[in-house]
Amino acid sequence: MKIPLHMAKEKDLQSAGLVAVPEKEQQQALLKGIDEYRHWARSIMVMLETCTKCGACANACHSYLGTGDFNNIPAARADLFRKIYKRYFTWTGKTIGRYIGAEDYDAETLAKWVTYFYQCNECRRCAVYCPFGIDTAEITIAARSIMSAIGVVPRFMTGVAANMIKTGNNMGIPKPATIDCCEFMEDEMREETGLEIKIPVDKPDSDILYIPSSADFFSNVDTMIGVAKFFHAIGANWTIPSTVLEAANFGLLFNNDAMKEQNQRMRDAAKMVGAKLVVQGECGHGWRAAKMYTEGSNGPAPFGIVHILDYAYQHLGKLKFEKLPWRVSLHDPCNYARAGDIIEQPREILKACVTEFVEMTPNRERNFCCGGGSGILMDEMMDIRMQLGKKKAEQVKELLPLDFLATPCSICKAQMPHVMKHYGMEDLKMGGVMDVVGKAIVLA
Amino acid sequence: MSSIDVKGQQIEVDEDGFLVDPDVWNQDIVEAFAKLEDVTELTEDHWKVINYLRDYYKQFGIAPMIRKLCKDTGFSLKQIYDMFPSGPAKGACKLAGLPKPTGCV
Amino acid sequence: MLYFVGQVLPYIAGAIFLIGVIYRVAGWLKAPVPFQLTLFPAPTGGAGRVAAVGTELILFKSLYKNDKNLWLWAWVLHVSLAMVIGGHIVGIYFLMNQFTLIGMSSSASQATSAFLGTVSGIALLVALIVLFYRRLANPEVKKLSDPADYIDLLFVLVIALTGNHMRLPGVHVDLPAVKAFMGNLLTFSPTPIPDDPIFIAHFTTVMLFMIYFPFSKMLHFAGFLVNRAMLVEAAPVYPTPAGTPLRSPFAGAKAPVADSGQAKGVQA
Repeated sequence: MKIPLHMAKEKDLQSAGLVAVPEKEQQQALLKGIDEYRHWARSIMVMLETCTKCGACANACHSYLGTGDFNNIPAARADLFRKIYKRYFTWTGKTIGRYIGAEDYDAETLAKWVTYFYQCNECRRCAVYCPFGIDTAEITIAARSIMSAIGVVPRFMTGVAANMIKTGNNMGIPKPATIDCCEFMEDEMREETGLEIKIPVDKPDSDILYIPSSADFFSNVDTMIGVAKFFHAIGANWTIPSTVLEAANFGLLFNNDAMKEQNQRMRDAAKMVGAKLVVQGECGHGWRAAKMYTEGSNGPAPFGIVHILDYAYQHLGKLKFEKLPWRVSLHDPCNYARAGDIIEQPREILKACVTEFVEMTPNRERNFCCGGGSGILMDEMMDIRMQLGKKKAEQVKELLPLDFLATPCSICKAQMPHVMKHYGMEDLKMGGVMDVVGKAIVLA
Repeated sequence: MSSIDVKGQQIEVDEDGFLVDPDVWNQDIVEAFAKLEDVTELTEDHWKVINYLRDYYKQFGIAPMIRKLCKDTGFSLKQIYDMFPSGPAKGACKLAGLPKPTGCV
Repeated sequence: MLYFVGQVLPYIAGAIFLIGVIYRVAGWLKAPVPFQLTLFPAPTGGAGRVAAVGTELILFKSLYKNDKNLWLWAWVLHVSLAMVIGGHIVGIYFLMNQFTLIGMSSSASQATSAFLGTVSGIALLVALIVLFYRRLANPEVKKLSDPADYIDLLFVLVIALTGNHMRLPGVHVDLPAVKAFMGNLLTFSPTPIPDDPIFIAHFTTVMLFMIYFPFSKMLHFAGFLVNRAMLVEAAPVYPTPAGTPLRSPFAGAKAPVADSGQAKGVQA
């Protein structure tokens, strides 16, 4: 079977601190990985052993609805894992395997795993609709982590990981470039407002450590500018860290050790500037990693962790806006709504900033993923990505005309323009919620 | 790894078609990439963008912010897309011999 | 043979059922939950969490908002099953006079008990047949199904059929004899099984089902609770309150060192 991904080769793996396992040892290594993981995290055994194959998840999953590929039904996707798990780790699977759907490891196993576990956006929508709350994202996270540990991982992921190791961000932006970007954005703001609005880098004795997405330093400039204006408006003593110019945590998307390491960077950076509060920028899965995984992966944290949209919402009363005459909707990033408890805040912020806010259907925790979630942003996946974005496109189409669609997550921001173009909506303007704040805010 | 043929010479590119070694970059390679990226004719404007990208990359080791690229070259984003149909990150960076921007782009 | 079925098999079945279920659930619970898997919007407070899982358990809310047709039959199946099991316990113990406890006359209680039992038994049977049909008729579900998924339904179907058979007009089961037999079983002083072929068939299939249970996905009832408990756990709070124990050994292990030239440069 042909894998639709470009897989990492030995050199790529090395640059990301991973090693390849020779093909003839892969089965043994994979089984060892599964065995360790199931004792490491309760969710795997429970979720694998609880599914009754009722099929209710099929309609809940945009991946299946978009691709029509049977293996993208959440239960079928999990079954790729479950069949092997049953065969080698359950008594019934070892004896009467075929009867309970167990399957031998074969030459196709890893190809199937890597193909379909990289067509799951880890969006957790199936968990909302499954009668048992089985969360296929958990199975996907486990499968990807186990595979990466034996060297089976897309090159895109190792590329990001290598940049992270080298520079502390996914894009590979070195510190001098960061400072150059900040100066550029400060110039832009000066030209626009006449005010000296700073984006401090590595400023010691800062109360707030703001962790942007590195994409804000390449394509999503308005998000960073909106954030800087907001901090200026509330008079915050803040800084961004050059060591971790990255709210994203791709570790969560391919390897748990890398996830832990990235969370450690945040912790070190907060300590370095003496921050009492870490504010995370507009990044969906990175927010999940920071909020939900910091305690579990790195132990107790001595600082607060808050999302920029939550933080801006808390200060909404202190801010002055001149409402933009726009009709705006919000795409709920999966990792905010279902995995990160950022649901009402972006709505309230948008309502304060624009004249007309409309909801798409479904919304909040029932929203469909953009189709890029879990880091499926590889070029070679473009055709599949467009299928994964089909439900999203249908949702947006119903709302047209829109002046702006808020997609407050860097993965959404990278994926959505492609989806909109593909489905004939290329003129739609999109960007973060903080972009809108930056445009509507009135600074003294 | 694969390679492309540039005037009889095999030049190594990665799976996305970007130069593996930015230092081998030369005008012939740009012309070969231009064909692959649907750039019909390399005008002075194209070279302005390409040279800007290369200079920035040499100084900072990374592609510039897209808005900075537009501002410093004087082209709008739309003009850049007209020149490089696959956009500043993919098309323009590829012709300039930069590695492919990765992450959430 | 009847001695084995009536006085030995029940203890084998009971032991396998109990030990099997405990063994499997304990196997799950032994593994830590390294990260909070809270699914938002999440309930708050202990009572809120119990209420959220409780209403999900009783009403199948997630399934209701997803697939109303499947919800109806799955709900009917489980509610009628609960009624049947509950009916077995109180109906046999009180010899169908349980409703006298809420003020009914003995004959009214007998009639109510018989009526509820019959309705539940038929509802269970119908739901099983519909769900079995759905498994075959829905191409996605059919492709998802393993042989065990059909057998599980058939197994319960046989139990329901033999059970319903005893309620047919003209079929008489000596309920006091069954009560005495069950009571003796439960007090570990087994007596011979009432010599009624339909009852013996029903009883035997139930015993076999109990043996089958811990090895099958029938354990989804326990999986439901363990899984839901993870999804409603409180999200972490930062700064981490003093005295919060480490969630798992993973949290205590040192992070793999980020060998970043830039990071070192800044820290130095």
